[in-house]
Amino acid sequence: MDVREFRAGVREWIDEVGESLVPPIEDQSVDAQLNHQRRVQRLLFDAGWMRWGWPARVGGLGGSPILRAVLGEELTSRALVHTTSWSMHEVLGPAVAEFGRPDLVEGIFPRLLSGKEFWCQGFSEPDAGSDLGSMRTTARPHRDGWVINGEKLWTSWAHHATRCVVLARTGGPGSRGVSAFLVDMDTPGVTASPLETMAGVDEFCSTSFVDVEVPAQRLLGELDAGWRVAQFILSCERGPIFWQRGAWLAHHLGLLLETPLDGWSVSALGEAYQLLWAFRTTSKSTQDRIAAGDLPGPEASVDKIMIAAAEQAVFDVARELLRGDIETGDSARSRSWRREWAYSRAATIYGGTSEIQKDIVASRLLGLPRSP
Amino acid sequence: MTEALTIDAAERALMAVTLRELAEALDGPELAQALEAFGFADLLTEAPRDAVSALFTTLGRAGSMSTSLQDVLLQPLAEHLPTPRTECNVLLPGIGADVVGATDGEALTVRGLVIGARTAKVFLAPVTIQGELTWIGIEGSSGISTRRVEGLDPALAMIEVTGVDVAADVVVAGEPAVAAWTAVATAGRLALGYQILGAVGQMIDLAVDHARSRVQFGRPIGSFQAVRNRLADAHIAREGAAAALAGAWDADDAVLAGLLAKSLAGRAARIAATHCQQVLAGIGFTAEHPFHRFLARALVLDSVLGSAAELPAVIGARLISAGTIPRLVDL
Repeated sequence: MDVREFRAGVREWIDEVGESLVPPIEDQSVDAQLNHQRRVQRLLFDAGWMRWGWPARVGGLGGSPILRAVLGEELTSRALVHTTSWSMHEVLGPAVAEFGRPDLVEGIFPRLLSGKEFWCQGFSEPDAGSDLGSMRTTARPHRDGWVINGEKLWTSWAHHATRCVVLARTGGPGSRGVSAFLVDMDTPGVTASPLETMAGVDEFCSTSFVDVEVPAQRLLGELDAGWRVAQFILSCERGPIFWQRGAWLAHHLGLLLETPLDGWSVSALGEAYQLLWAFRTTSKSTQDRIAAGDLPGPEASVDKIMIAAAEQAVFDVARELLRGDIETGDSARSRSWRREWAYSRAATIYGGTSEIQKDIVASRLLGLPRSP
Repeated sequence: MTEALTIDAAERALMAVTLRELAEALDGPELAQALEAFGFADLLTEAPRDAVSALFTTLGRAGSMSTSLQDVLLQPLAEHLPTPRTECNVLLPGIGADVVGATDGEALTVRGLVIGARTAKVFLAPVTIQGELTWIGIEGSSGISTRRVEGLDPALAMIEVTGVDVAADVVVAGEPAVAAWTAVATAGRLALGYQILGAVGQMIDLAVDHARSRVQFGRPIGSFQAVRNRLADAHIAREGAAAALAGAWDADDAVLAGLLAKSLAGRAARIAATHCQQVLAGIGFTAEHPFHRFLARALVLDSVLGSAAELPAVIGARLISAGTIPRLVDL
């Protein structure tokens, strides 16, 4: 499937299906957002669009991963799905497809793509944020499998998820002694407690694992090689996820063209757009490299820093241009902008802080000596 | 078909290598002569992207200059030229101005800059005559004065042309004049954008080398996070400008993409100038250290054809009049 043909097909399909793809405006709860996405994913899966860009062995129709970026872009640039929840299958899907046992992946992957299941990512811990290598959650051999104990933090959508990719210590200290597991969220001992964000959304959780038994086939990749899985997942975030997020930001910038614009605001709009363009052109070459089979390396830290800067610039200019809507408005539209603006505050934090990304740029791209 | 394309790509790569070698080895009139002999003006028609990016990035890196910017600016004017190309210089608007001059029918006042001037008798300048953009040709004897600009970057050897009652011939007027000015400005923005990018790269390299070798408190200063973050910020700004310049050649709105690329290059110049100078500290402030040459080059070129402070408003205005946020490039 050729990219142009795919894009044209998706656009035609969106026009045909029409209204039922538009999310509810009044109900902005996470439940409503996820229910809507399930519906959209189901329709896309049945029409085949959701399966392009994934290999046949996981139930896909093949083709370049760029097709997934294009699908995401066509959806988020019309705000038919929310960029954040649309990222879920893209964050973990590629890693599970790559590192999961074939018999495991074959059974569950179509459920992920069709929206029957959401998955979550159990990486961060109370004492392991930027310093992920210091995580304490353990997985110890138990009967034929493993038993996991520990606490994960900032696990987005954990309370709505069917499965979780959990990083746990199986060996010595540091990043070398870590393994990755795919854990069913309904296993006894798993508890997800939602944390409300400043955006007013209970999107992420504190998730505890108490004597959680995990079968051997749920190990992803090799034992003690979970760091590779984690790196792979973080790399994947720079792919189709970033592309559709950029489109979501452009959509929001476009909404601002309907506000009265003059004086300084014209320049602020131009400034936000140019940051978005710097990101888009940089990301385009990353998408091309992924399509050519390269895993994004340290240079993708640049993409991460750029999209975070663009995201905050777009919503900062929105707060100015909407003239009080974000601060004091109570319409559905105001609430939606308020939520997006608040969420953008975290853009420089989640998925690896901008400081950690800059540290990677300094060491790996500029060759500066590491701190002692 | 595939073979032809491959040979073409190989030829373009070879051409880029040659341009880089010339611009690294030569400067000024010698470089101009070598580029003329190499047929740079023809390459602008055959492979503009490779020719412009290779030559101007290297000029920025080397801190050198040649008359090749004139070739770039004159190319969109080719069908309107009153005399052979080699006898013309394009006069660009002075810093902060939109055009070189204006008249409401009375005396024509002009103020403009020539960058990379060659010995030529005619200046071509975009002016407004009763509000209409018009290209005029000005001979040296027509009431203008010229001054070699020392200023912030003496080595750039710009020429300022001024005049208060200038006799000029109309070269092209009406729609074609507007179209030609848009094309000249866009071509100029890309070339200057690449030159700025080269100078930014040089500023970063100088600061990175210093941060790796300079030891304070018993360790290289490049191991301190405050220093690392500054240089990372400069690198990220540079990468954004480089990507925007590369993307400009494929964009469906070339004018908007040119504005964005120039603005982002100027932005990178400002960020790199600030952060790299701070990292280089005292030594980078001396006349002996080469840093200041690249700082001056990048900041002076930022000011020409719209600076990073001016262009966002121009870009914003274009978005408003289009009523949409263009994607410009697709996957």
